[in-house]
Amino acid sequence: MSTRFLLTTVAAACALALPAMAQSRPVTLSTTLKDYGGDGAYLAVYLTDAKGAYVRTLWVAGGKAKYYKHLADWNRLSAGDAKRLNGVTGASVGAGRTLKVTAELADALIDAGYEIRIDAAAEDMRDSPAEIRVPLTATGAGKPQAGKQYIQSFTYQLQ
Amino acid sequence: MIWRFAHRWLGLVAGTLALVLSITGTLLALDPLNNAIQAAPTEPDMPVATLVQRVQATVPGAEEIRRQPSGAIVVYAFEDGQARALRVAPADGRVLGSYQPSLLPRWVKNLHRALLLDDPGRVAAAVVALAMLALSVSGLVLLLRRMGGWRRLAGPVRGTLAQRLHVLAGRVVLAVLALSAVAALYMSAATFGLVQLDAEAEPEVASSPNGQASLPAGQLPLLQALHVQDLRKLNVPAADDPQDIWSIVTVQGQGWVDRYSGQTLAWHDTTTAQRVHDWALLLHTGDGAWAWAVVLGAMGASIPLFWVTGVLLWWQARRSRPAIEGNSPLAQADSLIFVASESGSTWGFAQALHTALAAAGHRVHTTALEHWHVPPAARHVYVLAATYGEGQAPAHAARALDVIAHQPVTSAQVAVLGFGDRQFPAFCAFAEALEQTLLAQGWNPLLALERIHQQSAQEFARWGQSLAQALGQPLSLAYQPRLPRTAALTLVSRQDFAGGAGEPAAILRFALPGRGLPRFVAGDLLGIVPPGDQPVPRYYSLASGTRDGFVEICVRRMPGGVCSNYLHGLQPGDSAQAFIRPNPGFALHGSRQPVLLIGAGTGVAPLAGFIRGNARRRPMHLYYGTRDPARDFYFGEELQAWQAEGRLADLHTTFSRTPDGGGYVQDSLRRDAARVRDLLARGAVVRVCGSRPMAQGVAQVLDEILDGLGLSVARLKQRERYAEDLF
Repeated sequence: MSTRFLLTTVAAACALALPAMAQSRPVTLSTTLKDYGGDGAYLAVYLTDAKGAYVRTLWVAGGKAKYYKHLADWNRLSAGDAKRLNGVTGASVGAGRTLKVTAELADALIDAGYEIRIDAAAEDMRDSPAEIRVPLTATGAGKPQAGKQYIQSFTYQLQ
Repeated sequence: MIWRFAHRWLGLVAGTLALVLSITGTLLALDPLNNAIQAAPTEPDMPVATLVQRVQATVPGAEEIRRQPSGAIVVYAFEDGQARALRVAPADGRVLGSYQPSLLPRWVKNLHRALLLDDPGRVAAAVVALAMLALSVSGLVLLLRRMGGWRRLAGPVRGTLAQRLHVLAGRVVLAVLALSAVAALYMSAATFGLVQLDAEAEPEVASSPNGQASLPAGQLPLLQALHVQDLRKLNVPAADDPQDIWSIVTVQGQGWVDRYSGQTLAWHDTTTAQRVHDWALLLHTGDGAWAWAVVLGAMGASIPLFWVTGVLLWWQARRSRPAIEGNSPLAQADSLIFVASESGSTWGFAQALHTALAAAGHRVHTTALEHWHVPPAARHVYVLAATYGEGQAPAHAARALDVIAHQPVTSAQVAVLGFGDRQFPAFCAFAEALEQTLLAQGWNPLLALERIHQQSAQEFARWGQSLAQALGQPLSLAYQPRLPRTAALTLVSRQDFAGGAGEPAAILRFALPGRGLPRFVAGDLLGIVPPGDQPVPRYYSLASGTRDGFVEICVRRMPGGVCSNYLHGLQPGDSAQAFIRPNPGFALHGSRQPVLLIGAGTGVAPLAGFIRGNARRRPMHLYYGTRDPARDFYFGEELQAWQAEGRLADLHTTFSRTPDGGGYVQDSLRRDAARVRDLLARGAVVRVCGSRPMAQGVAQVLDEILDGLGLSVARLKQRERYAEDLF
């Protein structure tokens, strides 16, 4: 437990410190939802490191904290990050709609075992933690990936 | 008054939005019923671990297991790249079918809770819930006031159809509505984060790989200890994430379990806020309690009824309290006019006085008597008061004497003008009581009490002359009677009788006009407007209802009577202007209690109407007194026919002017004392119609009979089992 917490903290510190020293670039995250016939979905897009530890939150769609427990993995993994919602929240995403957001990522994170993960949930439907898990690599960029329950395709573009 | 005001305006404004919420709410109440039908039973105290093992045997890709409030077990699985939601039998893990969260499209729920407008709509829906709560509370206060306290809350309800429906439905639904509204408000508060449902943040926990394989569900102590009936949600750790954990939510709390060691990594007890939220959800949705869902659905369906009857009530009140033209603000007025009116006619006199005073240069404020308040600027105060029944105040001014006694006395001068009918022993008794109260309190009189008989415009004008003298300025009071909209009724037949007391009488039957006459029942009053410059309507009790298809009254010609002579002059084909005045206190309402009908002379007319309309063969017993079977036995033949048909149980006649005729109607009641006592003991309803002396005689005999039962006519009146229609 305590080792894991330490690792997370170090990783987070690195991720936060890196952009100041090294090259970073904007990454466009594009998520298109299926027509699953329900209310708007809550999504949490976040980054984990090679060991599966939480690094940082890239985007949270859906504004009511009451429902965050349904994004179970993210909610649990990011519990220690007091700033997890800072500047990265927006409205929930309707069925069939596309969410397009940009995050600033350090070059050092690419091809280094990091993963982009998405937890998804919609009311009266199942929770889908780990709806998407894709490695953050230069070759993986631009390749659409389907989710398990809600996501039709997810693509990230390095710029 | 503030309660009535709040109730009325909240109802009109928020009530309209509540219509949307009630209709969608009624539809949504179908879901708990459907869920209850689909739920398969769970054996008591079955460990969650057992359920998981059974489910994993039949649904290998199970990721999440939920127990719905209805008891249904729903398994979410990921198999062959497909996400599934399945209903599963807890007894053996058998798949029962796929799971549909609702019978209804999503938008119904979103319309219900957010009017399809997301957060602004949620706020609006919460405001409507708050308004519904306020409507329930104000409705209860008004209900208690109307019924006369908690102990009489369950008593019979009188009034127009709209009033009865509003009050009857209100008595039943009010508590459910309030409860549902409170639950909705709590749920809104949780949605907007005003109530915190989780006490602590999620623990940062993960499974620690120890080189062993994951434990099966059966070896996890927490899952063994928790019972399926308490389960809300269980998440199975993902096969491809070695650090993933078991997480379980139950009624008691939430726990996290290491998939390798089986250790409980963290446990959070359910917060009180969450428990309250669970209850609110149950109370508001009925999910998990289908009988309650039926109650909620019925409540939702009743809201349109409330809204329609409420709007009708508001409209009726608006019409009967005419807006006074040119009303000055209370604080600036030098002349105040307070009105106590039973049927609304006194307001016409008030308007005439108001106009005359304003024309003479006064600033006049006119309002209902229960709003009694005399600001310092007022110099003259006029009270125009009608008397209701046996000397009582009109219903709306019932507490006026109390109100007046609690307000300070000023130097203004007061004049009381009473309205009534000299035929009543308590002629203008309420006006007299008002004047006595005012003088006893120390108010200066402007004019002594004057009494106006039968809305006489001449007497009113004469009072105006005395007032002009007292004020020292000319004043002309021109009263135009305010008549309701009339319809022309065409006489189709008349049945003439010689009459008992020298003057003839006739049963007049008019055709039901196509339109212009509202629905009416036997016992309501027909207002006839005779032709003339200043017509004063006369009222006759109706011997028929709309359902009979004609309008029938029984009229005795009065010497010098304008209206009765006019009616007696009508021939079939002629028409008369008429309107309906409801008489809800006298008309019979549906019930199976026996009915004791007592009438004399033309007073039999409404009673005959009750019997004619008695299609349900309710036991009706008629005691009927006339003078001479050859001269004034109105409805004689019809009554015999109705008895043969079973509409009338028995008929007891007396003829006061024939030898061995049996005397008066009260004499036959006294002779039948045992039968009458038995009827009253069985809860019979009593209706008396005829002359005032007859009614007094009847009441005296009935009091003697009732004495043995510990009852009295006064008690029966109080319980709304005894009503009179006298002339």
